[in-house]
Amino acid sequence: MSDIATTSAAALPAARSGPAPRHRLWRLTQGAGLILGLYVLLYALYAYQQPRALDAYAIAALMNNTAPLALAAAGQTLVVLSRGFDLSIAGVISLCNVVLAVYPLEGPGGALVSMLLCLAIGGAVGAVNGWLVAYLRLQSIAATLATMIICQGIALVILNAPGGYVSEWIADELTGRLWGAVPVSGLAVAAVVGLWLLVRRTDYGVALYAIGADEPAAALSGVNVRRTRFLTFVMAGMLYGLAGLMLSAQTATGNPNSGAPLLLLSFAAVALGGTSLSGGRGGLFASVMGAATLTLLQKVLFSSGVSSFYTGLFQGVVLIVAVVFSGLLTRIGERK
Amino acid sequence: MTDATGRPDIGERQPSFREMRASGVSKSYGATVALEHADIALRAGEVHALLGENGAGKSTLVRIFTGAVIPDRGEMQLHGETYAPRSILEARQREVATAFQELSLVPNLTVAQNFLLPSLARPGRPLISARQVIARGADILERHALRRIDPAARVGDLPLAERQRIEIARAIENAGRVLILDEPTASLAETDWLFEQIGKARARGVAILYISHRLAEVREICTSATVLRNGRSIGTVGLGSASDGDIFEMMVGHRVEHARRPGRVAGTASAPRLAAEDLAGHGLHGVSFQLGEGEILGVAALEGQGQRGLFRVLAGLETPTGGGIRVDGKAAAYRTPRAALRCGSGISYLPEERKTEGILAGLSAATNVVLPFLPRVGRAGLIGRRDEERAALPAAQNVALSPRYLGFAIGDLSGGNQQKALMARTLATGARTLLLFDPTRGVDVGTKESIYAAIRAFAEGGGSVLFYSSELPEIVQLADRCLVLYGGQVFGELEGADIAEQKLVAAMIGHGTRPPAGHSSVSSAGPVHAVAESAR
Repeated sequence: MSDIATTSAAALPAARSGPAPRHRLWRLTQGAGLILGLYVLLYALYAYQQPRALDAYAIAALMNNTAPLALAAAGQTLVVLSRGFDLSIAGVISLCNVVLAVYPLEGPGGALVSMLLCLAIGGAVGAVNGWLVAYLRLQSIAATLATMIICQGIALVILNAPGGYVSEWIADELTGRLWGAVPVSGLAVAAVVGLWLLVRRTDYGVALYAIGADEPAAALSGVNVRRTRFLTFVMAGMLYGLAGLMLSAQTATGNPNSGAPLLLLSFAAVALGGTSLSGGRGGLFASVMGAATLTLLQKVLFSSGVSSFYTGLFQGVVLIVAVVFSGLLTRIGERK
Repeated sequence: MTDATGRPDIGERQPSFREMRASGVSKSYGATVALEHADIALRAGEVHALLGENGAGKSTLVRIFTGAVIPDRGEMQLHGETYAPRSILEARQREVATAFQELSLVPNLTVAQNFLLPSLARPGRPLISARQVIARGADILERHALRRIDPAARVGDLPLAERQRIEIARAIENAGRVLILDEPTASLAETDWLFEQIGKARARGVAILYISHRLAEVREICTSATVLRNGRSIGTVGLGSASDGDIFEMMVGHRVEHARRPGRVAGTASAPRLAAEDLAGHGLHGVSFQLGEGEILGVAALEGQGQRGLFRVLAGLETPTGGGIRVDGKAAAYRTPRAALRCGSGISYLPEERKTEGILAGLSAATNVVLPFLPRVGRAGLIGRRDEERAALPAAQNVALSPRYLGFAIGDLSGGNQQKALMARTLATGARTLLLFDPTRGVDVGTKESIYAAIRAFAEGGGSVLFYSSELPEIVQLADRCLVLYGGQVFGELEGADIAEQKLVAAMIGHGTRPPAGHSSVSSAGPVHAVAESAR
C-alpha cells in the first residue's frame, strides 16, 4: 500500500482525481458573468439610442431607478440561497415608505435616524419570519405571506392613501451625486455588494450555501441550521428596509402599496441573475445585476418608443430566455 | 472546541479501561418502537461489529450515539463520564464522530470545506482564507492516504466511492475517542484503504463501531460483535468463537419453521405471466426471472440491492436502460403505471411508501380503493358517495377490511387499515399480476395475517404475485420460489422447502449458497449473473 502511495505521489499533480478542468464557458455561468454581459450589451444599445446615456446625470438617474429593486433582490437572494422564499419584501418596503412619509425627519441626523428606523423595521419583520420558519418550521411562503399581509395592513393604518412627504434631505441627497460624479444610490448598492463579498467568506456564508443545497447533510456536518436560517431572514429584512429607504428617496412621497410591484420583480431579478430558486447556487451580485438589467430594459423600451404597457411582456420574455440560456450553458459545462 | 479539526494529541492516550458504554437505551416514534433495549460496550482500541437485519434498530442506535436522536430511556457513559449528546456538535466535542451510511457531505461545497464544516475560519478570525482552507483540506487528505483527491473539487462532482472515502476520512479526523462507521463499504470496491485507516485509528486508541451486512468483512476487521434483533440487543459474542451459523441464528432469532402453504405444482405449459430479461439500470445489472400463473415469487435482499429499482421498472415508474419485459409471452414496453395496468393481463403495483406513494390522505377509504377504476363506478359520469362504497365492498372483504371504515378519511385510519385499503385497491384493479413491495411493512400481526390470506387466495385463483419483503419469515411462509438479489443481480434462487431463513440470510449477505439442483453452481466468491436464466 505504501508503495502505491509513493508511486502515485510521484505522478502528482496530474493524477489528482476530481472533475476535469472547468470549461471557460462553464465558468461564465458561475457567478455574474452571463448577466453582466447582457447588461453591457443592453447598455450599449441604450447609449446608441440615447447619446446622453453616458452623462453623469443619466447614469445617476438610472442608478436611482435601479437601487430599490437591486437592494430588494439582494435580500431575496439570501433567502432563496437558503432554499426559501420571502414575500414579506412587499410589506416591509411599503411600511418603511409610509413611515418615512408620515414622520419625515429633516437634516443629515434625521436621515441617519430614518435609515436606522428602516433597518429596525426590516430586521424586526425578518426576525419574526426567521422565528416562524427556522424554529416553528413553517413553510417560508406561508410564514412570509402572513407577515407581508400584516405589514401591508399596518402601512394602511399609518397612511390610508398615497400622500405625505419624505424629508427633503433624504429625497435630495440620496438621489444626488457626490462631487458631481458618484451617485449616492449606486454607492449604497456597492456597499451592500461589498459587505456580501465579506459575508460570503465567513462561516455563516458557507453555512448558507450548505443548508440551501442539502439541509440534512449540513445538519449532520454540524452546521447550526436554525441559527443560519434565522440570521438569513433578519439580514434579508434589513436589506428590504434599505430598499424602502431608497424607494422613498426616489418617490419623495408615501404610498401604502409602494412595495407590491417589487415583490415579483425581485424574484425575476434573482432568477435572471442565475440563482437557483431551489437553493444553494448563485450569488447576490448576480441578482443585483439582474435587477439592473430589468430596470435598464424598461428605459431602453421607453426610449425606443414602445408603449409602457409592453414592458412586462418584454421583461418576461427576457427572463425566460436568460434562464433557458443559462441552463443550457450549465448543462454544456457539466458535460465537459 | 479547541481545534476546529478536533484532532486529538496522539501520544497521550494509552489504551486502558476507557470505553463507551450504553445500557438500556430505547427510542420510540409514536407507537413505533425503533429501539427497545440496547446494551453495548465499545472498548478503546477495539473494532466492534453491530449486526442485525434491516429494521433491527442499528441506525437508530447510531443516531443516538451521534446526538442526532435523543433516546427516551437508558444511559450512556464515555470514559467513565455521563454521555448524553443533544446535538452532533456536542458529540463531536466529546470526540465521537460518525461516517453515515447516507453520507453527510454537502454537494455544492468543496472537499476541503466539507472537512472543516461548520467552522472554516481560524478561531478569532471572522473571515475565511480560501487558501488556508484548501491547505488544511489537503493536509487531511494527505493524512488519510487520499492525496489523489483535489481538495478544491466540488464534492458533488466526485464519484460515489470517493465521496464515501471523504465521509470516512472526515469521521476519523473528528473521532478522538469513538468512531462509528455505518456501512462504510457500501460503495467501496475494495477494503484495503478502509482497513488501513481503521488500523491507524485503532492504534491511536479509538473505539470503533463497525456496521456492515458483509460478514466476511466483519470477521476480517472486528474482534467482537453485538447482535440487534427487533430493537433489542440479543448479545455480544467474540467473533473468534462464533460460527456463521451461530450469528445468523442470533440475527434471525429462531430455527422454528413457519407453516408453509403446500407446494404448488410448478411448470405450467403456458407462457409465464411476467418475464424479465436481463433488466439493467436503476441499480440493476442484468436481472432475469420468470413468474408463472398462480405463482408467488418472493424477493429477498438487504437494503439497496436493486429491489426498489426492479419493482419500479416492472411497475412502469422507471424505464430500464437495458433488457426487456415480457407480459403473457409478448414483449411489453410500458412507461407509466397506467400502461402497465392495461398491458396484457395487467400489472398492479403496491408501492413502498404508504404515506407518500400510496394513500390520498384526505379522501375516504372507499375512494382510495376504487381510484383505479373510477370511470366504471359512477352513473353517467357522476359518482355518488354510496357508489364508491358499494364498489369498494368486495375488494374490502378480500382483505378483511371492515366495511364501516370505508366512509372514513383514509388518513384517519390506523396504518394497518390503510395498508389493507391499499391492498384492496391493488386487488380491485383486476390485474392478474401483482407487484407488492414490502406489503406488510409496519403493520400489526393481525393485519399481516389478513394480507397473507388475500395474497394466497389471489394466487390460488390463478393470479401471479411478485413480492419483496424485508421480513424473512414472510418470504418463508408465502413464497413458492424466492430470488435473492445482491448488488443488483440475482445472486441465488431458492425453491420450495429450500426457502429457509438461514439460507436466505447467507445468500443475502453475498455468502455462498447452494443453488437448487439443476442450476449451475454458484461460487461463494461473488455474485453470479442471472442464475434464473438457466432454470429450464
